Amino acid sequence: MFKVLGERGLPVARLLTPRGGPALQAVRGRKSRTDPPAKSKEGRIKVPPPVDPVEMVVLGERYTEYGLIMRALRLEFKEEVLRKKYEQETGSVAEERARQDTEEHRSLMAWNDAENRRMLRIRQLRVHNETEEAELKKQVAILQREQQMQELIKEKEKEILQLQEEAKNFITLENLDQRIEEALDNPKNYNFAIDKEGRIVKQTVLK
Amino acid sequence: MPRYELALIVKAMQRADTAAALRRTVEALLERGAVVRDVENLGERLLPYRVSKHSALHTRGAYFTVDFYAAPDIATDLLDHLGRDVDVVRPTVLKKESAAPRGPCCGPGPSRPQGTGTGT
Repeated sequence: MFKVLGERGLPVARLLTPRGGPALQAVRGRKSRTDPPAKSKEGRIKVPPPVDPVEMVVLGERYTEYGLIMRALRLEFKEEVLRKKYEQETGSVAEERARQDTEEHRSLMAWNDAENRRMLRIRQLRVHNETEEAELKKQVAILQREQQMQELIKEKEKEILQLQEEAKNFITLENLDQRIEEALDNPKNYNFAIDKEGRIVKQTVLK
Repeated sequence: MPRYELALIVKAMQRADTAAALRRTVEALLERGAVVRDVENLGERLLPYRVSKHSALHTRGAYFTVDFYAAPDIATDLLDHLGRDVDVVRPTVLKKESAAPRGPCCGPGPSRPQGTGTGT
């Protein structure tokens, strides 16, 4: 009626775990469900494949024996695994190990605490020293700033005094005429060359 | 107050007229609230190039310097006023730096040890 076209369209999981079901499945090829069978298949009667009874019996016995053995082995192995797991969790060796672990943990914690205390002492000392130094520096800086302020004030005072002295020579409305006459009488000349010591080397003459 | 210097070029005139021009200038400064420190005469000389001002070509001029203390905002006003003055050829207001002693800024640096000959 319809050809079995191999494993086309079969999920891969079925292939990897053949558990006794048919590995092949019928797949529709060209014809759909509603198509009538072909004329060449008219009167075809499906017959299952022939079976030899003796062979069947022998095979059956062998299969049952095989199944027994396999089941027994599997159960043995499963039991072994479970036993090992149980041993690991609640055996005598496990208790020893647990005790050792707690001991180690306690000793390590103690060591850690000791280290922390030591570091704390060192740190406190360091911080104390640093604060002292900072204080000292601050004091020194304050003193320096005070000194600078004083010096600045002195400078300014000197400048003020100098300016007051010079102010006596400034021009006002009264001495304006006199100063103008003076200026017109004494022409100044700034066109001179100077060497590194400051002596005048060359001087142009007013034309 | 900042310290300025007025570099003034006045037309070449007789002494009386020059004196009058100077007097006018200084009075203008004083009435704008400046404190005039000194007036200097740099001589009457040939101008570096011919300057035409107030529809007249000037070849010679009298150079004067007025240093004064003033507020910064009178500069434009003063320049306007001096520009209108017929006798003034060129007014220039400059700032006078306070003589701060600077280190050696130009010239050969501190004596370096001689290198090993010339590379070229």
